[in-house]
Amino acid sequence: MVLIALAIIVLPLLTRDSYYLDVATTILMNLTLTMSFRLQVSTGQINMAHISFMGIGAYTSALLVTRLGFSFWATLWIGALTAALLAVPIGSVALRVSGPYYFLITFAFSEVVRLFFNNFFENLFGGPSGLVGIPKPDRVLGMTFNGKLALYWLMAVICAVVVVALVRLDYSRFGLTAGAIRQADLVVETLGVNVFRFKLTTFVVGSFVAGVAGVFFAHYRQVLHSSDFGLEPMVLLVVFTVIGGTGSVWGPVVGTILMTVASELLRELHHYEILVFGAVLILTMLFAPEGLVALPGGARRLLRKLRGRAAEPAGAGVAP
Amino acid sequence: MLLELRAVSRRFGGLLAVSDLSMTVVSGSIHGLIGPNGAGKSTVFNLITGVLPVTSGEVWFKNERISGLRSSEICRRGIARTFQATALFREYTVLQNVLVGAHLLAAPGLAPTLFWSGTYRDRERQARERGRALLESLGLGAVGSQVAGQLPHRDQKALALAMALATGAELVILDEPLAGLTDQEKSETIAVLRRLREQRLTVLLVEHDMKAVMGVCDTVTVLDHGVRIAEGTPREIQANPAVIEAYLGAEEPSA
Repeated sequence: MVLIALAIIVLPLLTRDSYYLDVATTILMNLTLTMSFRLQVSTGQINMAHISFMGIGAYTSALLVTRLGFSFWATLWIGALTAALLAVPIGSVALRVSGPYYFLITFAFSEVVRLFFNNFFENLFGGPSGLVGIPKPDRVLGMTFNGKLALYWLMAVICAVVVVALVRLDYSRFGLTAGAIRQADLVVETLGVNVFRFKLTTFVVGSFVAGVAGVFFAHYRQVLHSSDFGLEPMVLLVVFTVIGGTGSVWGPVVGTILMTVASELLRELHHYEILVFGAVLILTMLFAPEGLVALPGGARRLLRKLRGRAAEPAGAGVAP
Repeated sequence: MLLELRAVSRRFGGLLAVSDLSMTVVSGSIHGLIGPNGAGKSTVFNLITGVLPVTSGEVWFKNERISGLRSSEICRRGIARTFQATALFREYTVLQNVLVGAHLLAAPGLAPTLFWSGTYRDRERQARERGRALLESLGLGAVGSQVAGQLPHRDQKALALAMALATGAELVILDEPLAGLTDQEKSETIAVLRRLREQRLTVLLVEHDMKAVMGVCDTVTVLDHGVRIAEGTPREIQANPAVIEAYLGAEEPSA
């Protein structure tokens, strides 16, 4: 955690190159998303609509600022709260089922949201050509946010708050209960925890955080397309999280940093990039199913095993 | 009386698994529920703890109706249970398993958790101390930091009981607490049950070991094909012709 905080602070001292700052900002934005996604995965729910709540936050803020002249600092909260409020009924329906059915329901919902932004109220959402002309965050407390560096710092602060809060939760009783639900939800229920309400809480909190990321995204990119919140970015979100490892709260951190950088390096490949990610995901599932963060521990165990075997007298382990 | 079943029935499609069952569990007693395989004993446990909804009838606990409530709410009212196939959080350590059980007594709320406040740390420390004491009292003191999934069978059984007790329940419902244990381990578990009774806890258990049931229970209810065929002290049950009839060809109740 200290290392990451140092990296965040040191980076802008090393370079003012707007490309590197842009990559770093994207990492922090993705990290906010993967951390909030993993909060739900920790209870065993793969919420394929997570990206939609980012979209809801983004469009809410973009419209309030461009149409009604709201301040970014108000819509940052309003956008996130809208995402959280919509998460209550949607989560209440989706969380009635679990496993593959939950996956399918949330996936269907995400498509509904994407098509809604794409096909309806074209004069509001901009239809297929997108919603353009979203301004950068306005002045607050004497600070301006026109340059990449200022936006980087803003995202860094948001991301730091989210990461600290979610890591804190994960190491607390809350994280303990979440993991217990993933392992045996019926037992947790009979031990006095309302599992439905617990999962709904993670769904709503996760959606709130996704909404925050969405608002920042809208005013950072200054243009929104419905495909920004479609299947492809959602799949990337899953890949980032799973490659890092969902068993640990640090999994998404490792996965997001590595994969966002990889994504930049593979930029030339355009849409084939997702093929490479698919291959990486398969390899991870085959050789490190608990993700990259579990590798050091796994390697240690393997080494110990190998050493143990070497110490055994020759032939002792051979079965006839 | 602590727990009362009033004409409870449960139907699975065409099968009436529990039929018009009425029974009462007296506070501070050890109450056995026995019957041949398929008699509906585990179903009764699932109906009491809300894991399955009743088809008809009512379950009352401490003069409040609990049938229709969620399992978690029933646990909050003071009933905890174990499962026949011992159910643990296999990836967690023994102490962590107990801490999940202690959720009700120790949940400190969101704000204290996020801000790592003094309240949070105090509650957490207390929960750990209580958890360790509980493990100690059930002979698990030495394995607190081991992973639950790797424990021997006897310790897994004891841990399941510890988790139920950690909720602070007044009534603990045990589904075959002696299954798969050696004679030595059985007598240890029976001693634990007697100690719980001394601490004014109430125990309701399903068990196939008739010798143990007759030795430890204050009251025994006998089910056959979902119907209550007898209830009484172990002595009465052993002399009951209907019970002997039901067990003929299965296992004979022996003293």
